[in-house]
Amino acid sequence: MKMRGFEYHRAATLDDALATLSEFGDDAKVLAGGQSLVPMMAMRLSSPAHLVDTGKLTTHDTITETDGMIAIGMRVTHAALEQSALIATAVPLAHAAAPHIGHRAIRNRGTVCGSIAHADPAAELPAVAVSLNAQLVVRSTRGERIVNAADFFHGYLTTALEPDELLTEVRFPKRGAIAGASVHEVSRRNGDFALVGVAVHLEFAKPSTKKGAAVIANAGIGLFGLGGIPIAAVEAQSLLVGNPTSDDLFAAAADAVMRNIDPMPDNHATAQYRRHVAGVLTRRALADATNQALAAS
Amino acid sequence: MRETIVGPFAGKFVGHAVRRVEDPRLLTGEGRYVDDVQLSGMLHAAFVRSPHAHAHIRNIEVAAARRSPGVVDIITGAEMETLVHPFIGMLALKGLYDPRFYALSSKRVRHVGDPVAIVIAESRAQAEDAIELVEVSYETIEAVANASDALDSRKPPLWDNRSNVLFDFANTYGEVDAAFAGADRVISHQFKEQRVSNQPMETRGIVVEIDPKSSAITVHAATQSAHMLKWVLALLSDRASIPASIKTLAINRDRVTRFAKSAKAILTAKPELKEPSPMMPAMVKQFRAEPSRFVDLQRAMLGLLAKSDNDRPEVLARDIGGAFGTKGSASREDLAVYAAARKLGRSVKWIEDRNEHLMGGGHSRDEIVDISMAVRNDGTLLGMKVSLTLDQGAYPAFPFGGSMFSQIIRVMFPGPYRVPVMQFNGKVVATNKGTLVAYRGPWAVETFVRERMFDMVARELGITAAEVRLRNIVTMAELPTPMITGPMLDVRMSAHRTLVDAIAIADYDNWPAAQLAARANGKILGLGIATFCEAAPGPPDFFEHSIPGSGALAGIEPAKIVLEADGMVAVITQQVPHGQGHETTLAQVAADQLGIPIEAIRVRYGDTKITPFAMMGTGGSRSAAMAGGVVTFAARELKERIVDIAADLMEASREDIVIEAGNVHVAGVPARGITLADIAVEARRRDQNAAPGEAIRVAQEFDGGEGGWTQATHACWVEVDLETGQVAIPRYVVVEDCGEIINPAIVDGQIRGGIAQGIGQVLYEKITYDDAGQFQTGTFMDYLIPTACEIPDIEIHHIETPSEIEANYRGVGEGGMVVAPAALTNAIENALAHLGVRISEPYLPPSKILELAGVIQTARSTAR
Repeated sequence: MKMRGFEYHRAATLDDALATLSEFGDDAKVLAGGQSLVPMMAMRLSSPAHLVDTGKLTTHDTITETDGMIAIGMRVTHAALEQSALIATAVPLAHAAAPHIGHRAIRNRGTVCGSIAHADPAAELPAVAVSLNAQLVVRSTRGERIVNAADFFHGYLTTALEPDELLTEVRFPKRGAIAGASVHEVSRRNGDFALVGVAVHLEFAKPSTKKGAAVIANAGIGLFGLGGIPIAAVEAQSLLVGNPTSDDLFAAAADAVMRNIDPMPDNHATAQYRRHVAGVLTRRALADATNQALAAS
Repeated sequence: MRETIVGPFAGKFVGHAVRRVEDPRLLTGEGRYVDDVQLSGMLHAAFVRSPHAHAHIRNIEVAAARRSPGVVDIITGAEMETLVHPFIGMLALKGLYDPRFYALSSKRVRHVGDPVAIVIAESRAQAEDAIELVEVSYETIEAVANASDALDSRKPPLWDNRSNVLFDFANTYGEVDAAFAGADRVISHQFKEQRVSNQPMETRGIVVEIDPKSSAITVHAATQSAHMLKWVLALLSDRASIPASIKTLAINRDRVTRFAKSAKAILTAKPELKEPSPMMPAMVKQFRAEPSRFVDLQRAMLGLLAKSDNDRPEVLARDIGGAFGTKGSASREDLAVYAAARKLGRSVKWIEDRNEHLMGGGHSRDEIVDISMAVRNDGTLLGMKVSLTLDQGAYPAFPFGGSMFSQIIRVMFPGPYRVPVMQFNGKVVATNKGTLVAYRGPWAVETFVRERMFDMVARELGITAAEVRLRNIVTMAELPTPMITGPMLDVRMSAHRTLVDAIAIADYDNWPAAQLAARANGKILGLGIATFCEAAPGPPDFFEHSIPGSGALAGIEPAKIVLEADGMVAVITQQVPHGQGHETTLAQVAADQLGIPIEAIRVRYGDTKITPFAMMGTGGSRSAAMAGGVVTFAARELKERIVDIAADLMEASREDIVIEAGNVHVAGVPARGITLADIAVEARRRDQNAAPGEAIRVAQEFDGGEGGWTQATHACWVEVDLETGQVAIPRYVVVEDCGEIINPAIVDGQIRGGIAQGIGQVLYEKITYDDAGQFQTGTFMDYLIPTACEIPDIEIHHIETPSEIEANYRGVGEGGMVVAPAALTNAIENALAHLGVRISEPYLPPSKILELAGVIQTARSTAR
């Protein structure tokens, strides 16, 4: 398991990286944390002729708040995401997802933008991006554009990124006043990719003075491990919005999730299993997110 | 848990959790593994492997690959057949057909990963680049993808146009039909164990070092048996014709004389070898049926006899990153790399990568067992009928493969229970899969099936799992008593006591109430127990009942102990530790005998130039008893020799000499003692013929004495999530007896490690081939090994049955892995019993749990 030969480019600046990508296009691959790309190269499943290492672009390793959005730079690692106080308070869903990503050693090197650009359908962060409809900032020598997460994931390991483009930043909306988030996943072992995963973000309307169930104002449900891309559970989301929480409502949302997916079997789990557990985890995550939001409010 | 104790000890090291001597170097990265061997001018090997399960090789084109940068040579299967002898199975058993095969395949491939050529290049990366340029034309053949294919006579044969059933045997013990006719109930079930794989942290690897000046060969290897590897490489390499070997011998008559002399010496020392081997009739039959087999064997044997010392390797095994059985074989790759280095006259390294190791580094289990138990309504077992089908893949492991395991499975099937009669039928079949090797209890299916079956019988009869076991397990009052299959259960067989203790510790009698109460609160809990015994090393008659004729060669453990010129003591063993901690435990044993600190002892191993000859190496949970025993007795002899000299030097009587903490003195006057260095000086003065650096040398052999069993009962609790199928293990209890414990930390580590692999087999691990024989588990994302996160705390309770037997040490290497799958599976079935679930296979990933519980529909999976 030795990789094929390649030319290594260490970008000194972002412009430098973009210029190299522009020059080599399809023949080049961006190296961020290397946690997915390097094993694929070692197994000769991926053999880019040119590797553009972004490791020196350290000015892009910040998490900042602007205009109600939380911006995560391309060099921010999963570990930094996990430990960020700003993320914990402003993007609770990303905070909840972080401990599920691989193992600590992987989180120390792997990057948030790298995971989203790699677009593994069983990974947590692409589903979080879909759940929150994140904005993905994409740069090339041709300029900058912003792609909504809903439009970003095209297929298995395939995204809206052109060969010369680099994902430089992901922007998550800041949570509302009454919000809860929960990530539930089943993996074979601790740290494995999910067999089934559900990332739920709920926002609630201001509580009325009357006692009664809280009303869901906004819902984001991202599913992972259930298809070729991370899936936004659109029907379930619209079932929830405007309704007071109840076990029946969550069960209906779970049914909608199960109806709208077409999971694939593999050696780790059957399609039936994935469909069933997607419903179970949807219910559990909705209940957790609700409890969290209402306990804090 | 026992506390880790770190000296000083009051003159006794055995029984204490002495810190491992190995750990400082291993934990600080100073270990020397085979991949750490770097030689100037060393070349690197990589293999061209079959992508097909079963195919004819029509053509192999290597010209483009030869032109690839860094390539030095490419040896195909056809050329390899001119360089080496075929592997020839050494087991002669009635009803066994043992195929012969070469290091590389030339005409046909028989599993995904079957090597067809070896590329030698300046670097491994360059060798892999060249592999991509080798063009092999295959014509695929229908695959024999599993045992049921192998039993189907319409499927193509793998070997020599013979049936894919390579070994077919039957043994009857007692009046089976009568016992079954007289039973209240006959309960039958079919069990399967999936194929799993050992997967040590370090894969296989070998560096064949050729000294450019002398052309002496040193094989650096990760092997469990240095002498076995040396012997196999010397036997099978440097193919020469019979006339050529005879010619060589005619010129070098000293080689014949030397052979005759050493054969005579062996036969004098072991007169039992003069008796005709019980294997002889089967061997003669094999040769009559296949004269070419006899010719192949003679050609290899004569070739070995004709080889000069310089044409035989020395093997050097240093630190080894685990094996669990798979490095007890000499592999086709080992021989191919050796042959390539010999051909080129240059050093060659091959380090197997993980993908190769998963494909071809050694698989295990993969059995189907049909069992019927004849019982009385009170649970008394009257007899068993067992039918085993063992899928050993394409190429039998060498020297020990599935056929040997099948015999231990047969002998061990009754375990520590009263089994009045037994019928055992066995088949070993060939399929287009990787090689089946020994894996931590290669016979373990007997425990899984028997212990699962007892639970099923209990449910059928409406009694508890504990009751059915207590009714049938051999109590200590009955000892000694032979198993129905032959081996003696001696007076230390305490399996009954482990069971009784475990039942008490588990509060088993109150379990049904606790389980019901939990279920009322929505918690699905289960408790499973399982009991077993393992031959570690087994009673003296164990080998003869397993493989008649193998005992005389396999049962002997040699060791040397040397007082060195500097006063240090060297323990020189044929064991090849690969994680067991022998540098610590053998030093503990020797230190206690000699009265010296363990720091004064060096354990030397793995170097065929200095270690005593034995083929067994390390394996079979034998080291504690065999090596612990021989080191005890040899150290005692050395002490006598030291005391002789000390008595003279101090003008005292022998009886008054004591050695404490390395101080040799007259009893009562420690201040006037002398050191072992002083003794060494005097010993060298007396013995002018002592080897350089040595003062006193003692060599002994040990036949295992009374041998004996290790036994245990495991109790496992589970909580099953009926919505997701996930299984948690909140508690795990072990009650075991391995005799006197040399180092409790090491014993507990062995037990925990074995259980971890047992949990892996049930919840995580499965080697998968599809129906066309395509291999599907080529990475650690496909083949899942449990990590520390998946393994619960394990509570271990030790029993040491008192005994007058000296060196009452027994092995614990395999037991945890042997019994844990049964305990865990029993617990899961117990948790799901109210749903009518019956479990026939240990592999229980979350989707299987939900299928069994009826929560989701069973899908026909794409792979089996």
